[in-house]
Amino acid sequence: MTALTNLWEFVNRFMETGGPVMWIIAFVLFVLWALIIERWLYLQFEYPKEARTLIASWHARQDTSSWQARHIRQAWLSQATERLNTRIVLIKTLVAICPLIGLLGTVWGMINVFEAMSSQGSGNARLMANGISMATMPTMAGMVAAISGLFVAARLEALARNRAEQLADSLPHH
Amino acid sequence: MKRLILTLLASTIAASSVVFAADAPKAQSLDQLLDMVRKAQTAESELNRQREAQFKQARDQQAALLNQAKAELAELERESDRLKAAFDANEKELAVLEEQKTVRVGNLGEMFGVVRQAAGDMAARINRSYVSAEIPGRAKFLEDMAQSKALPKIEALRNLWVSMQQEMTEQGKISRFTAPVVLGDGTQVERELVRVGAFNLVSDGEYYIYSPETNQIQELARQPVARVVSLVDDFESNSSGFEPLYVDPTRGGLLQLVVQAPDLMEKYHQGGVVGYVITGVFFVGILIVLERLITLTIVGGQIRSQLKSATPGNNPLGRVMSVYLANKDADTDNLELKLDEAIMKEVPRLERGIAMVKVFAALAPLLGLLGTVTGMIETFQVITMFGAGDPKLMASGISTALVTTVQGIVTAIPLVFLHSLISGRSKSLIHILEEQSTGIIAQHAEKKGA
Repeated sequence: MTALTNLWEFVNRFMETGGPVMWIIAFVLFVLWALIIERWLYLQFEYPKEARTLIASWHARQDTSSWQARHIRQAWLSQATERLNTRIVLIKTLVAICPLIGLLGTVWGMINVFEAMSSQGSGNARLMANGISMATMPTMAGMVAAISGLFVAARLEALARNRAEQLADSLPHH
Repeated sequence: MKRLILTLLASTIAASSVVFAADAPKAQSLDQLLDMVRKAQTAESELNRQREAQFKQARDQQAALLNQAKAELAELERESDRLKAAFDANEKELAVLEEQKTVRVGNLGEMFGVVRQAAGDMAARINRSYVSAEIPGRAKFLEDMAQSKALPKIEALRNLWVSMQQEMTEQGKISRFTAPVVLGDGTQVERELVRVGAFNLVSDGEYYIYSPETNQIQELARQPVARVVSLVDDFESNSSGFEPLYVDPTRGGLLQLVVQAPDLMEKYHQGGVVGYVITGVFFVGILIVLERLITLTIVGGQIRSQLKSATPGNNPLGRVMSVYLANKDADTDNLELKLDEAIMKEVPRLERGIAMVKVFAALAPLLGLLGTVTGMIETFQVITMFGAGDPKLMASGISTALVTTVQGIVTAIPLVFLHSLISGRSKSLIHILEEQSTGIIAQHAEKKGA
């Protein structure tokens, strides 16, 4: 229990050195990874089942080459692609937002530096250092968050595209 | 000639003896005159003898007086010598005694200096101490003691001791007391305060500071962050055991820095005109997003319900379906063209405003940059006028520049996020129309045919 409180205290200190922006980055990072995990679970467990039923129902059709069949196939593919790609744009947006929030934190920290300067002059390096740590920590955190999401997001996108192409290949015209 | 002598004689007699001259009978003849002269001479010599005797007597008297005075002088001189000797002797004795006194006072004088210094230090310390908020007026006696030139009495020394001991004891205590407090708007009210040693004053879940200059307890105009303040209530309500509390070890110094820092609203207004423009962009963008979100949700719901029914309703998919129903019997190419046309008509309505949000999302950081540049121009103008010597003058312009940047980014982040949200929604609806509508129609047709 004390270990937990100590950890919480440590996190609190860490977050405070970076200022309030750190919490925003933490929140965005949390949402980002929640979305990534959801996508991965879907691709790994949910989608294969859907693909199998879709392929089975396509093969069950007698008519696979008429105007209707062509459009129905296209509609099914489109629906599947859409399900594969839902929230991937959101994930990519969140990844793109992370450095932007980091930049926000940087500017916020710089404001604190200049505030300290305007109230106390440039003599007090310790007061300014507080703002500078507030400026640098969010940048770092934003970068780390973006990098952590960037690779995974690209991987998920490629995976989704791959799966869509595989599905298109699995629905041949008889 | 005779007359002349007579007159002369007469005048001589008259001059020599005024007494006799007045009633002296006038001489009738020379003999008579002679006789008169003789008589007068006799009388005169008698008189002279008398006077001589008188003078002699007086002379003897004076001589006696002189002797007496001389004797007196001698007496006084002796007395003077005696006294002088006594004075010298006393002087010597005094010197000896003085020396004795210095020797005996020796250590005591040193102690006096130490006591005065200690009293002065203690007075300054007590004046600044938060304990004085609870027990005021303790420093007066110490100040007097530090100023006084006389040796301190044993009583005063005891009081100094007591004061020091009291301060020490009180610093280790957490105590509750009621005192007048000056609120932020200048009014004075009685409050129950909790004093934490010599460090802090808390009341009603807030921190207070004690100002030694005015001897007043003041409400902090701005409290520290919520995480810090939130502990105060629990601390106050606790009467035994332990409760965590953030303490300002600088005795109010850090808390006063909190007051100086501008709050969010003040920072916002530092952005100036550019800042207000960015705020305008933000609100317009948010309004567009809200309109889009509501419209897209409604249209999405309609399309989704349309997917399940074969009868076309008044929604994008329904309209496309009704075009199919009207041209069911046309040949495939013609039908396809008609359907494409119907879809093309629906798409702009779904995409409306989304590009605008994207433009706003891109515009906001640019406006922030504009604010930065105008802020820097202001800064350099200040430098041109006042030189770069005072960082305080420059800092205000720079903070203006940075605040607009913050506003730009703060506006851009949600707009980028919301843009991706609504463009995702509209894209999914457009997909349904473009790629699936024909399929859906085909499925319906197949079902009917089957």
